[in-house]
Amino acid sequence: MVDTTWRRVARSRIAVAAAPGSPRVRLLSSAVILGVIVLAVIVVPAVVNLNQQFVDLAAANRPPSLAHPFGTDELGRDVLLRCIYGLRVSLMVGIVAAVVSTVLGTLVGVLAGAAGGWVDRLLMRAVDTVASVPHLLLGVVIVAVLGPSLTSVVISISLTHWLSSARIVRSEILSLRGRPFVDAAIAGGSSRLRVMGRHLLPNVAPQVLLATTLMIPHAVWHETALSFLGLGMPPHMASIGNMINDAQRSLLTGGWWMSLAPGLMLVVATLAISGLSGVWRDRLNPRRRSELSW
Amino acid sequence: MSGTGVTSGIGKLVLRRLLFAVPVLLVVSFGLFVLAKASPFNPVERYFGVRIIGADPERVAQIRENWGVDKPVVEQYTAWLGHAVTGDFGDSLSLQQPVAQVIGDRLGWSMLLLAVSFGLALLLGLALGTLAAWRQGGWLDRAITSGSYVLEAAPVFWLGLGALFIFAQQLQWLPGGGLTDADQALDLGQLVRHLVLPAAVLAISQAPWFALFVRQNLLESLTQDYVTGARARGLPDRTVVLRHALRTSLLPFITLLGARLPELISGALLVETVFSWPGIAKATVDAALNVDFALLGGLTLLATAAVLLGNLIADVLYALADPRVGFDG
Amino acid sequence: MRTVVGLVLLAALAVAGCSVPQQGPAGPPSIVIGAGQEPDNLNPILGYAPDGAAKVFDGLVDRDAGLRLTPRLAERLPEATADGLTWTAKLRQGVKFSDGTPLSAQDVVFTYKSVLDPKVNSTIASRYDALAEVSAPDDSTVVFRLKYPYAPFGQFLTLGIVPRKAFDGQDINSAPFNTAPIGTGPYTVDQWRKGDRMVLKANEGHWDKAPAIKTVTFVYVTDDNARATRMASGEFDATVLPPRLAGTYTGKAGYKLVRNPSADYRGLGIPSALPFTSDPRVRVAINTGINRQAMIDTVLAGAGKPAATPISPYLTEWYDPAAKFDFDAGKAGALLDEAGWRLGSDGKRAKDGRPARLPILYPAEDSLRKDLALAVGSDLAKLGIDAPVEATTFELMLQRQKETAAVWGGGDPYDPDSAAYTLLHSRYSGQPGYVNMTLYNNSQVDAALDTARRNLDPGVRKQAYRDFQQAYMADPAWAFLVFLDHTYVMRDKWNGIEEQVEPHDHGTVHAVWWNIEHWSPK
Repeated sequence: MVDTTWRRVARSRIAVAAAPGSPRVRLLSSAVILGVIVLAVIVVPAVVNLNQQFVDLAAANRPPSLAHPFGTDELGRDVLLRCIYGLRVSLMVGIVAAVVSTVLGTLVGVLAGAAGGWVDRLLMRAVDTVASVPHLLLGVVIVAVLGPSLTSVVISISLTHWLSSARIVRSEILSLRGRPFVDAAIAGGSSRLRVMGRHLLPNVAPQVLLATTLMIPHAVWHETALSFLGLGMPPHMASIGNMINDAQRSLLTGGWWMSLAPGLMLVVATLAISGLSGVWRDRLNPRRRSELSW
Repeated sequence: MSGTGVTSGIGKLVLRRLLFAVPVLLVVSFGLFVLAKASPFNPVERYFGVRIIGADPERVAQIRENWGVDKPVVEQYTAWLGHAVTGDFGDSLSLQQPVAQVIGDRLGWSMLLLAVSFGLALLLGLALGTLAAWRQGGWLDRAITSGSYVLEAAPVFWLGLGALFIFAQQLQWLPGGGLTDADQALDLGQLVRHLVLPAAVLAISQAPWFALFVRQNLLESLTQDYVTGARARGLPDRTVVLRHALRTSLLPFITLLGARLPELISGALLVETVFSWPGIAKATVDAALNVDFALLGGLTLLATAAVLLGNLIADVLYALADPRVGFDG
Repeated sequence: MRTVVGLVLLAALAVAGCSVPQQGPAGPPSIVIGAGQEPDNLNPILGYAPDGAAKVFDGLVDRDAGLRLTPRLAERLPEATADGLTWTAKLRQGVKFSDGTPLSAQDVVFTYKSVLDPKVNSTIASRYDALAEVSAPDDSTVVFRLKYPYAPFGQFLTLGIVPRKAFDGQDINSAPFNTAPIGTGPYTVDQWRKGDRMVLKANEGHWDKAPAIKTVTFVYVTDDNARATRMASGEFDATVLPPRLAGTYTGKAGYKLVRNPSADYRGLGIPSALPFTSDPRVRVAINTGINRQAMIDTVLAGAGKPAATPISPYLTEWYDPAAKFDFDAGKAGALLDEAGWRLGSDGKRAKDGRPARLPILYPAEDSLRKDLALAVGSDLAKLGIDAPVEATTFELMLQRQKETAAVWGGGDPYDPDSAAYTLLHSRYSGQPGYVNMTLYNNSQVDAALDTARRNLDPGVRKQAYRDFQQAYMADPAWAFLVFLDHTYVMRDKWNGIEEQVEPHDHGTVHAVWWNIEHWSPK
């Protein structure tokens, strides 16, 4: 029994799936879930037109019911609606921060990879330096300086998450530089800059895009963690971290639903995003070992 | 490679890393100072607290002058650096105590939590990863991998709150926070009882990453030629797996332990907050909320040093485990 | 690897082992208190416990449960001369500091002079603005000379007295005394681990009588939830909790729920300079359109009293029962109409094309003020006022004082002067710092506050504060929201608990344990 299992694995030499289920199933389920979430966070606010700060003190602390599937919070706001708003804020922050950090990382990576020499060494030392500071701690310091706000959260995430894209872009450029077609282009009279623009970046672009999507769940996590510590989004704003932070108090007075719902929503959304980008990654880099951080 | 070769190689590696650590620590600390100066917050107002309401503006300005907070950055930084070299990191504004003492009082508890969770996460990860690889494609594998993905997606503080609600509040099996019960002297029993929840939550949030990594590498190494070769020589499967496959797949694992340290510290920051563990996390959050840059600076330097040290240890271990590896660090 | 982990573990245990707090076995009566706020230092000169109940120190005077001044280190209550400019205190004989040195008038002079010293970073110096000089004609007499007649001065003689000898050759700002003080109070500091706990031991040689509870341990836990969890696990004998968390102990056997009234207000400062709110009718409308009772019922779980002025209704001597705003959204709307801010088709009010807009700021780290800001914003939105809520810091609340409203808090129950004067007198309008934040200017209010401050006759003062409240109600600078009740959960095993109206601060000093030296085990 034991033997056959190992042997089958050894013989098959198949590519290793990073997650259970066939890629097709994974792709489909992730896409459907993500579709529903994206639709919800776009459509619901438009239809319900809820004033985010509106409170209804008469309806506070209601457990889940038909009218409020996830109950209401301490100020009588519907938890499901707030979750949707919160997810919207968290995803927006995640996407913006992921894009900003990837742009930052790409710039550093291109500069390092293209320039080489001492510029490369200096920039890579900078990367190592930032990598040496635990990023939540660095994020906390940045927010402490700027004061809690949406902008400072985005800045905090961007300044702590550009490292991996910088490394990816640099190594892609280094490996591309050695390819014959680049030499050929330079020999054919193209300027370095042109070669970069014409040949290198298009080759690097898919990897960069992939790095961005892989970054989104990270960025969302960072936002929720900062908000949970009271150092993130403005506390009255619906965001997943703020909701879980607020719900802590209610947990002790029996209001479990206020923390259950936002956490679950976050888990589902994160799984869908990483599932989708995981399939994409496996297609793009079939031979490469899976990135396992998410 | 001879024994002395390995030793001198490691010596060089350590030396090179230490040389790298100095500029990193300098840059990080100076960066913090610049940030602190750029901050719009007024530490004097934090000092007054609620008494700032109605306080005479002239008195407030007087204290600002007494503190010398308006001197140039470089002057303040060099002064701070001069003291820091001797181990004096200044006084924490929020706690009005020397930074070194604030950190010293809490470091032990944080390290205990980190070490226990890290060990637990490693064991869990190894066991589950090996199990999953062994049963690749089976229900056990599916359960472990899907469970790992879900746990990775769940924020650690949310897991912590869940554990607090179930085990401390509803079932009342374990204490919900702190280090000891009331009026109880600190002994091993008390400590263990209070450590269980935070350490377990932190370990469970870290273990999935290890488990997935072990599973992946194990599956890959099972397809390597030397493993197939060993098999062809008729060695029993258990030997093949444990002696050869597991061993080679553990090598990259060791290097990544160091890289995982920042994640672990981030996680500990949140877990300590949830369980009011008397470690460094609370001091960090307070320092941030009170814009206490002396304390934040000390903490950041400490964490940076810890990560650098973790990387170094991982590299040395890697080199020791696999002598084929060079020491280019 | 395993050995490395083991070594780290051992090292961690060794490091941790060095800093274990020492706790003796149960013996003489002791109490463990979970407190929310920790003092920054224990030096009265720098600002520790300026209103008495200082545990480690005694002031010249202190207060009883009804907040009446009682002589403490002074033989009897200090009295002012007829012109109100000179106050004289006779010291009690035979009082010793806990290190054995006898108390002398020079110690009192040193204490007050140091507060006034510009080189000393005292946070309470502004309270003694009226004080010109303090001297000791002999070893048991202290004379305070004032710059102007100041009726509430006697209230500020509660400051704890320090031994001048302890500061010989020391910088007061960083003296070791600040964390290991010596006083004449009923307790001495046995151990203080900043950020964790403070252990007080009974001062057996106290001049009055030694406390029955021999050891008082304050454990400092800032987070409300953590305190609730640790109270539930039996770690504390008493703790302070937000009303809703405290409510979970209602009717629980062996526990006692204490709800103490306070002069601790939360209120919305409304800028007088903003075109929309410059009209007093608009400010009265805002005050009338806010449902204070709903906030108290839900946000505070019933633990609070509606506020209208900075004078707490618990201060029966000064409070005018007519000074209250009854919730009436219809009346508020009518007032806004009258002032020219009319409802548009979109449900929002405007005047001459200018929208009725009042942003509400609150400090980000304060969740109670967040909830109150949201509730106020919601009420104002119902009136058709655009009132976006923004999280920020105290610094920014001050910087934007001309164009935004902000949720402030403060207040003490001792003399209305300290709560009202710097907050509402036009003398402080436009000054930097946290004084008259709403830039309020009302000559009637000014006159009443000045009369009350400079006159020593209680009858005249009382009338002046009535006049003040009346003038203020017609032209409110704020929308004061609530006076909070402070709620505590304790094990039901102590005698001697007395209710006292509490100030804003209720950490180690005030709070239900304000008179812990008079408690005894049941």
